[in-house]
Amino acid sequence: MTARAFGAALAIATTVAHAQSPDPLTWLRKMHEATQRLSYSGTFVYQIHQNDGRTETSRITRYAAGDIEKLEVMNGVPREIVRTRDRVRCYLPDSRVVKVDRRIDRDFPGLLPEQIPALTRHYDISLGETQRIAGLECQSVVLQPKDNLRYGYRLYADVRSGMLMRADTVDSAGHSVETLMFTQFTPGNVTRDMVRPSHEGKNWRIEDAGAAPASLAGWGLAAELPGFHKVIELKRRLGESRAAGQMVFSDGLAAVSVFIEPLEGRRDRAAGLASMGAIHIYTREVANHMITVVGEAPAVSVQRIADAVEFHRPPQ
Amino acid sequence: MKDRISVLMDGELDDRSAAQAIDALADGSQAEGEAREAWRTYHLISDALGKSRMLSAGFSARVAAALAAEPTVLAPRRLTVPREPRRWLALAAGVAAVSLVGWLGFAPQQAGVPPVAQAPKATLAPAVAKEANAAVVPLPSGTNDYLLAHQAFSPRMSFQGMAPYALTVSGRAQEPRR
Repeated sequence: MTARAFGAALAIATTVAHAQSPDPLTWLRKMHEATQRLSYSGTFVYQIHQNDGRTETSRITRYAAGDIEKLEVMNGVPREIVRTRDRVRCYLPDSRVVKVDRRIDRDFPGLLPEQIPALTRHYDISLGETQRIAGLECQSVVLQPKDNLRYGYRLYADVRSGMLMRADTVDSAGHSVETLMFTQFTPGNVTRDMVRPSHEGKNWRIEDAGAAPASLAGWGLAAELPGFHKVIELKRRLGESRAAGQMVFSDGLAAVSVFIEPLEGRRDRAAGLASMGAIHIYTREVANHMITVVGEAPAVSVQRIADAVEFHRPPQ
Repeated sequence: MKDRISVLMDGELDDRSAAQAIDALADGSQAEGEAREAWRTYHLISDALGKSRMLSAGFSARVAAALAAEPTVLAPRRLTVPREPRRWLALAAGVAAVSLVGWLGFAPQQAGVPPVAQAPKATLAPAVAKEANAAVVPLPSGTNDYLLAHQAFSPRMSFQGMAPYALTVSGRAQEPRR
């Protein structure tokens, strides 16, 4: 199919869908599909509403034909992330470091379109208001959690393309915890050059995470958090070269990672809870290891997963 | 009752008053919920200020069980260690005044504790750790590494593309320097 025919088919599909005022799940599929299909460039802000609040401005460019995305963080420490089909590279020009991670997530995709209906197990999904964002008419989809173990979401998709223009993460009191919103968005007109890294990274230190699926023998949860199932378990390096295990649990939309590191050299770490926007980080010690649980879930969920982490010496 | 609990924590009540205060803590009635709430609150403040290490989950239940199994000592030695008195009540007021309270997880540690009618819930409602009774600590060093490793597996990416990667810890101190 030519690109034009494909575009026309989409336009028809979009028009028909719009005319029939599609159900919220169809909107979620549209958003998912737009994220994969479109080439675009745009500027978005990431706002954290807690404490004194914080706003980060970033520029994002996606070259759909090569499945390459580039993200440049505009304020604070310079930082650029380029994601290709098989690698994620994070460039830190200040410290002359490139962090490299293999994309195992491609083999374990977070959310497939056919898994969208399953989200209704944990969220009530409905259509909300329309709003104009970055000059585009957007339809909102509201995901209301059925318990307090996960956040709610208000997602705003461009009516024409389906592209997600704004996402609010909402706590149980109905307050927005963080907002991610495009302030400028241009579909198309992206070339291969626009997604090349701005830094050559010659003579920079390379920190390769060397992530690979692996069985973390002996480690597990005494009890899973309702709705959160183990997605993957892997071994990797963190920072310069710290060996770590990682288990990821997800309810299909939110994810929580459990990092397991040998305690030596990490004794400086205070046990407890830290947070940043919707992300909570909970640290504790288990069986001479430092457990760090990181996830975009309410504090109580992150802590419950952390408290459930246990180690049983595997039989020899 | 709150001031008595404060003084009790510092071991400065005379035996009779201390016994009364402890009875109040042990009493399960609605009216005495306040005493227990104060006891917990002051200890949380004490822990937060003193940077005590976190206790493991179910610690208090295990201690209670261990205590129940202990034989009763009939003639305990009197503690006579002189200490700088601290007023947890006053400290609590001070902490609330600078709204640091929002940082601390003040939720009851167990279900079934009667709610405190006159407690200033709005002030105490922690913004961060609503239901988790955890010590609140700064973001760990290497937070950006954890985020980078975690975000790759977040299904949010399916809708938001790479946007979640934008969230990192600001501040140059967080990045390794050569």
